[in-house]
Amino acid sequence: MLEFNATLLAQIFHFVVLLIFLRVVAYKPIARLLKERQDYIANNVAAAEEERAQAEKLKQQYLADLQKAREEAQGILAQATRAAELQAQDIIAAAKEEANRVKESALADIQREREKAVRELREQVAALSVLVAGKIIGRTITPEIQSQLVYDFIKEAGDLPC
Amino acid sequence: MAKVELHEIEERLNFWGFPHEHWHLGTIGNFPLDLNPRTIIVTWITMILVALFAVAATRNMDMKRPNKLQVMIEMIYDFVKGLVHDQIHDPVKAMSFLGIALTYFIFILFSNLLGLVPTLTSPTADLNTTVGLAICTFILFQYYGIRYRGGKHFKHYLEPYWFFLPINIVEDLSKPVTLSFRLYGNIYAGEVLILVILGLLPVVVDFAGGFIVPVVWLAYSIFVGCIQAFIFTMLSIVYVGQKVAEDH
Repeated sequence: MLEFNATLLAQIFHFVVLLIFLRVVAYKPIARLLKERQDYIANNVAAAEEERAQAEKLKQQYLADLQKAREEAQGILAQATRAAELQAQDIIAAAKEEANRVKESALADIQREREKAVRELREQVAALSVLVAGKIIGRTITPEIQSQLVYDFIKEAGDLPC
Repeated sequence: MAKVELHEIEERLNFWGFPHEHWHLGTIGNFPLDLNPRTIIVTWITMILVALFAVAATRNMDMKRPNKLQVMIEMIYDFVKGLVHDQIHDPVKAMSFLGIALTYFIFILFSNLLGLVPTLTSPTADLNTTVGLAICTFILFQYYGIRYRGGKHFKHYLEPYWFFLPINIVEDLSKPVTLSFRLYGNIYAGEVLILVILGLLPVVVDFAGGFIVPVVWLAYSIFVGCIQAFIFTMLSIVYVGQKVAEDH
């Protein structure tokens, strides 16, 4: 098989035939398919990128919303605390006032009772004085004189601290 | 004496009755149009197998769920495409050469592997085939050089000095010679060694484990066949790449 003959030309011809055949049958479809796949993957990647960006944006938005909600809650909480404090102060103030009022009225009652007691005491003292004076003097004086005497006496006595 | 024995073994293995006489197609001038029948027939078988493979692999191609054959041909395609694009940086030029490089690879691969089928030989075990392919490479790199570099392609033979002309011509002529003889030598030697092993071992030994030797050699020949197909394709790409490179 070492001598050259027309087989050489035939083999070149065979090779060219095979080349043309494969070019039409195999290479073109494969190249097209690979191109399609490349495009498909590129599209997928692009879509994924876009979706990721959108997700990122959504996430940022949600985070911002969350932050805002948190701040609002904080605000509401602070407001409620302030209101409660105010209310507590009001209640305390009202209680104090009530207590003062009760104290005042109690003091007034005491004052009144005291005055009443003093008045009663004066009357009794007057009566006693009349009795005693009548006994001492031994005579009966007219009620007018007596009253005048008693009154003077009481006046003197009333200026004394009692 | 050894030659006679080899012929005898070859004759015994001529299961399909390949004719020994050349097919004579006539004469052009003094050049007889003779064909080696055995080479031509195995080439046809190779071509049919390649065609079947290509058709089967590219029929019902699915972009998302490729079947096994499709994956295989896509791998070969991507592999050769990578080689071509590594050597020829311009994508347009690379794509124009891709089909040729792919055909080199697939055709030579199938040819080499066909020789491993008992009773058949490789088309590439005939020097006519490998020289034919190497001449294709030679024509191709000349064509690519002229097409993409024009006059600079011929000017290159006078560089760096005019008296380098013979050296440059020899350099270019040696490329197809080395390509063809490397491929032919590897494949033909593999087949001869199979014959030698078969001739050395009597049939009786086969039953005693003697089949291991030719099987190991066959396995190695598969490796050699793939490597040689790769080398031929790779070197063709490199030669064309050198000719189309701008900075050379």
